[in-house]
Amino acid sequence: MPRYQPNLLLPVNAEPPQILHIDLNSCFATVEQQARPLLRGRPLAVTNRLTKNACVVAASYEAKDLGVKVGMGFAEAKLLAPDLIMVETDPPKYHYVYKKLIGIMKSYSPKIGMKSIDEGVIDFHGTRQNVNRRPLAVIGQEIKQRLRDEVGPWMKCNVGIAPNRFLAKTAASLHKPDGLDVITHKNLRSTLADLELTDLTGIAERNQARLNTAGIYTPLQFLDAPADVLARKVFHSVCGEDWYRRLRGWEVDDVEYATKTVGRQFVMDEWQPTEETLHSRLSHLCETTAMKLRYRGLAARGIHLYLLYANGDVWYERKLFKTAVSGGADVYRRAQLVFNRRPRDDWVRMMAVSCYKLEPAQTDQISLLEEINKEAWLTEAIDTINHQYGEFTVTYASTLAAKGLIKQKIPFGSTRYFELLCNRA
Amino acid sequence: MDQSTQINKDVNIVAFYFKNTSRRLRCFPKRMELDGKRVDFTETGLVHPTKKGQRTIHVFDMTDGSADYRLEFDAQELSWKLIAITDNHYAPISTQFAPAS
Repeated sequence: MPRYQPNLLLPVNAEPPQILHIDLNSCFATVEQQARPLLRGRPLAVTNRLTKNACVVAASYEAKDLGVKVGMGFAEAKLLAPDLIMVETDPPKYHYVYKKLIGIMKSYSPKIGMKSIDEGVIDFHGTRQNVNRRPLAVIGQEIKQRLRDEVGPWMKCNVGIAPNRFLAKTAASLHKPDGLDVITHKNLRSTLADLELTDLTGIAERNQARLNTAGIYTPLQFLDAPADVLARKVFHSVCGEDWYRRLRGWEVDDVEYATKTVGRQFVMDEWQPTEETLHSRLSHLCETTAMKLRYRGLAARGIHLYLLYANGDVWYERKLFKTAVSGGADVYRRAQLVFNRRPRDDWVRMMAVSCYKLEPAQTDQISLLEEINKEAWLTEAIDTINHQYGEFTVTYASTLAAKGLIKQKIPFGSTRYFELLCNRA
Repeated sequence: MDQSTQINKDVNIVAFYFKNTSRRLRCFPKRMELDGKRVDFTETGLVHPTKKGQRTIHVFDMTDGSADYRLEFDAQELSWKLIAITDNHYAPISTQFAPAS
């Protein structure tokens, strides 16, 4: 099927809804309130690092009522909610809830997908005739109850049911917390009529501005816009046609994207880091990036470094090599080549390392060069020990100073490394 | 800057209660002895497994109504450890990071 179809004309998808979207409400904060009963009913914010420069990664509904938002800094949150309690993230707890949620979802359909740690989709296509005969709204209520029974009574989730993933997610965000909404071809227009453009997932300020320039100011106008206008005038790409289908309830988001990069970043713990400190942090970032590569059975040819300076300047550089590596020492050696070319005019505030040009690691191929083999065997031996006794039981001396400071934190968008994250020493 | 008081001490769990969840009979701590004092738990917050290498540790977040307790059960050594206690007065953000007077 050609990706772009001029003069595409599609009706609204009249198929009965088969997609169920589950969204855990304020996931990390709710899990913390479930775990610590004394925090229930109190404004709570979860942060990755309990420091003065911390920012909120999840806020409880009590905190949200006071105006605290995700991404807000410590100082701003303090002004809005002086009684706000901040706690640090605890990944094993969220991992447990994540696994419970997957277990519940899998009991209904083999076709499930996790969009992130706290969001999942169940595709009921092909299961309705024999297994899940009850209305999806009833199944949605049952999932809510099972979450309370199997995790704890404080757990709440939003459920959205619709013919495609986008509308199901929209439905799940209509009544927070603990809502359940269904969007069908019958109530699509009335549902969209109550929303703003930016209420739609994927439409933020920039896309809103693009739509506005084409005279589209409301979701209903967006729905009524022809595919050609969206593709040629608004988005200037096939994305416009995707939006045309998406809004009409046709599926365009059932796609898996391959991993293109693997990396890590760290906001410096010192205001004026010395050369030694910088190299120690860089070494640790490289080691953990390499761990992620090996965890996924990948090796990388390219390395990319990104530095943010105290004056707001950024510097980045990438370098592509002929061979692919996945060992911590190799990645660090290559990162150093790039890192040593950085400008030294100001203090580094943040550094990020990422590997690109990924390919499957060829661990079965023995090199003709003894030195390379030795390094590969050493990495393998270290991995075996760390797998047995916890990550960083054996680590490079150059990373020791950073080991306790750079904590692997919750990955928001992806859950690919959750198992690795939870295997701590 | 964690608000919890880190204890990290072996403790005795002297009473348990049982609950039938998801068709499995599960066991939870009911009473703990710590430095000669008894603590009776009134509610179980969350029980989740975590790993230390290949060792499975079961973490029990419990409360006695006036403080939250984090207990760990080592499934290999069959031992209980009290990791941390946080009292009811979780310090609000306004008092965290305040300069020491």
